[in-house]
Amino acid sequence: MATDEDLITAVANGDGRALEELCRRYERGLHQFIFRHTGGRDVDDLYQETWLRVVRAARRFDPRRRFSTWLFQIAVNLCRDWHRRPPPEPVDPASVEGNRADVPATVDAALDARRLLAALPEAQRSVVILRYYHDLGEDEVAEIVGCPKGTVKSRLHHAMARLTRLARQ
Amino acid sequence: MTTCDDVLAKLLLAGKLDADAAAHVSACPHCTAEQGRVRRVAALLASDHVPAASPALSARVVGAATPLLARQARRAAWRTLARALAAALVPLPLIVFLDFHLVRTAYGVLNTLLPGPLSFYVAFNYVATLAVLFALSYGMIPIVAERQMRLRREECRA
Repeated sequence: MATDEDLITAVANGDGRALEELCRRYERGLHQFIFRHTGGRDVDDLYQETWLRVVRAARRFDPRRRFSTWLFQIAVNLCRDWHRRPPPEPVDPASVEGNRADVPATVDAALDARRLLAALPEAQRSVVILRYYHDLGEDEVAEIVGCPKGTVKSRLHHAMARLTRLARQ
Repeated sequence: MTTCDDVLAKLLLAGKLDADAAAHVSACPHCTAEQGRVRRVAALLASDHVPAASPALSARVVGAATPLLARQARRAAWRTLARALAAALVPLPLIVFLDFHLVRTAYGVLNTLLPGPLSFYVAFNYVATLAVLFALSYGMIPIVAERQMRLRREECRA
């Protein structure tokens, strides 16, 4: 079976099937990462833009690196840019409240989790998502978010302090 | 980062503690107080279920990437061709130089053995054959380069 690194080399040479295979391998993880990072907004657009950037930059990919690290690095940068954009038009609260009456408990819990994540600053959120949901090691997270390992640790610690404070409320 | 931070981070990420960490928690009033909250946060985070991506999403991505991929394929083909041509052109001056001397020497030798027009005819024929062979060899380069790229793509797919 071709490795991710072989496939990205093929993508750099214009192979569409290699891109399909990479999309298949990372669809779930990448989609979940973006969903959690943005709270479910503009997920499909960001997902598509991540892959388009992968295709554009495929020739610059260093085959000694892990493809997954590079892919998530691109996704983190895109999510970072997305958070810097001006907020969208405000939604009518009445329409939201009206729908909340028939929301099942599991969805409510998921919304609580999303609210918790949304309360974190962007840098801490990336670390929590990558460490908690994607089970990545500190070294890999540090490479993805582009900071030293110690910063990853302290971001996780600050995020945890904030989350426990929020969970108490 | 203190030991307490490490222990609580471990509790959040792994959901359970090893013997050392558990001993630390039971001996540390801060960690004992915090562990319930950390477990609650872990439970809340674990309850977050992200809906699956739409089945059409990957097809949409590949569709959007098609023009980019076509451009990459064209560029890759040109790069391979340029590399092959460069590799083939490097020894060309030496080959031409050697052939020129070979033909001149052969023409000199033939001139002593055969009449002038006949030795010129033989030498000319040799040069013409060489020129045709050169043209064929260099003309084959794009075909061979394209074939190599196709094989590489197929290998990668396999």
